[in-house]
Amino acid sequence: MTLPLIASAIRLTVPILLAALGGVFSERGGVVNIALEGTMIIGTFFGALGAYHYGPLAGALCAILAGAGFALIHAVVTVTFRVDQIISGVALNLLAVGLARFLNLLIFGVATQSPGVSGFPQLSVPGLAGIPALASLTTGISPLIPVTLLLVLGGQWLLLRTTFGLRLRAVGENPRAAESLGIAVYRMRYAGVLISGALAGLAGGYLALEQAHFYLEGMTQGLGFIALAAVIFGNWWPTGALGAALLFGFFDALSLRVVASAIPYQFVQSLPYVVTILVLAGFVGRSTPPAADGVPYTRGETG
Amino acid sequence: MSRRARIALLQVAAPVLAVLFGVLISSTIILAIHQNPLSVFSLIVTFNLRPSSVASILTSATPLIFAGLATAFGFRVNIFNIGVEGQYYVGGFLAALAGFAVHGLPGVLHVPLIILTAAVGGMAWAWLPAYLRRQRGAHEVITTIMMNYIAFNIILYVLSLVRDRHLGGTARIRTPLFPPSALIPHLAPPLNALGLPIPLYSPLNWFLVGAVLLALAAWFWLRRSRFGYETKAVALNPAAAEAGGIKVARVQFVMFMLSGAVAGLVGLSDMLGRTGYFDIDFPKGLGFLGISVALLARNDPLGIIAAAVLFGYLDRGAEGVQTFASVPREVITILQALIILAIVVVYEVMTRYIRTLRKGEAA
Repeated sequence: MTLPLIASAIRLTVPILLAALGGVFSERGGVVNIALEGTMIIGTFFGALGAYHYGPLAGALCAILAGAGFALIHAVVTVTFRVDQIISGVALNLLAVGLARFLNLLIFGVATQSPGVSGFPQLSVPGLAGIPALASLTTGISPLIPVTLLLVLGGQWLLLRTTFGLRLRAVGENPRAAESLGIAVYRMRYAGVLISGALAGLAGGYLALEQAHFYLEGMTQGLGFIALAAVIFGNWWPTGALGAALLFGFFDALSLRVVASAIPYQFVQSLPYVVTILVLAGFVGRSTPPAADGVPYTRGETG
Repeated sequence: MSRRARIALLQVAAPVLAVLFGVLISSTIILAIHQNPLSVFSLIVTFNLRPSSVASILTSATPLIFAGLATAFGFRVNIFNIGVEGQYYVGGFLAALAGFAVHGLPGVLHVPLIILTAAVGGMAWAWLPAYLRRQRGAHEVITTIMMNYIAFNIILYVLSLVRDRHLGGTARIRTPLFPPSALIPHLAPPLNALGLPIPLYSPLNWFLVGAVLLALAAWFWLRRSRFGYETKAVALNPAAAEAGGIKVARVQFVMFMLSGAVAGLVGLSDMLGRTGYFDIDFPKGLGFLGISVALLARNDPLGIIAAAVLFGYLDRGAEGVQTFASVPREVITILQALIILAIVVVYEVMTRYIRTLRKGEAA
């Protein structure tokens, strides 16, 4: 295994991980968000838009805000109106494609891509940057990589150790009991979905700002669905999602490198999906979703 | 007005309201790009009355009827088959193998063979998620999404193995061409003979008739047969159905497999009626549109015909406004998504209101 492969795997892990972290928050609160993919699409466009006008930081913030705004639709439709969460997600994924194309056409004059944008200044590991053998790992690091790592650790702490985290999980496990204890179920579910939108938006922003340096239609390539798989494989915990996303990122990096080898790269690319099915079927590891995950909740109704 | 009449009226009003909501929001978008929504919508209406537009609308509606039916078969027993997309891809690809590899059969045998292969292929791809749900409790939403991606990857690879090598290195990757016996006759000649001026170049073909007949058959079967009754019981209350002696898991499994079989047919009208080969441009996304069509129609087979035609109508209208009013066609994609969101919200609110009305009636 070579260092450039590891570096490439880490770069490919970040968007999966950010979106998966979002998925963890949403599902811990009891709302399945299969619109992660669509939210990432929105993030890629608004990330490029913000960065084009005001630089990379504005781009990242735009992606976060747009992602949260887009997820707000999911929250209103599924939490307030209690529509089936899968159905809302499917419609939002459809909406995101049309919206991104339309806005790009409106603002940049073409349907499928934006002008180039510059990303964040890259970081190097102090002290190690001078060693040529390690250069692929220690230099040219996107600042969003350490940020993502901090978000994962912070997210784990938030869910495990804080009142907010405890309440969010209570709402995802047993909303009725939570409500009887005075927890505002709807508000917590809104919070979970909005956090997921913000993180998935940032995941899209990362693709546009740090990987491609422009917005391109379809650049999310189903990563939002891989993230959904990472949520499950990671057993609905941020650190679990980290492990799963790393594994999937590694498969992805590997598939880019086996093009010339005997194993068809399409097979390597399919591995994350196969692994997810095995996990769901209980053949590998064990996954226990939050008990009320995916179940609409009606306030104050008994039975 | 009696409660019963009020409920009936609401059921008709809901889709109309949802479409109006979608139109309202898209009008705002059209206004935002400094165009007149009224003239855009009237352009759609006049443009879509042309014979060539009618042919195009029905051509786009054909695969959507199959995709809508496939999704609805699952939805009707609370199975969320998000995998119609992958199932029709697999069905279409296997059908293509049966298309170009078999020679010397007359068309009356070859076309049914291809249709059968497509149905079996779609069913086979649905089998694993159906089996894992029944035996291991794996939720079909995620497994079918995963199966979609696996299907695209594997077919991309296998397609490169069976590709038409006469095309050389530079040409596009596609299967060899099908013999004429594998192609489906177009509808334009007989319709012209009946005095309907459908343009002769239109790929509108007999799969439209097949789709409509299948929808009618499904409607009749689900309404009148014992099995149809069982599906209704499973959807309304699985626990009560089980207690009443209905094998819920079996009914769901059968409907899941049927859903896959119908899904396998989605791409055929295009492949046998227009291209005559399978390539990487084989239409994608029809499975997801099928979900929208089924939702709009509330899983009713006859409603699915109407919903599919509406989507075809909007698609064609999108081409019209793009060409003649320079309004981007994406406005119509947004309109479609908004109609779906609106309709699910309206249905949900309405169902709850009807429940309250019924409770009032019982009291």
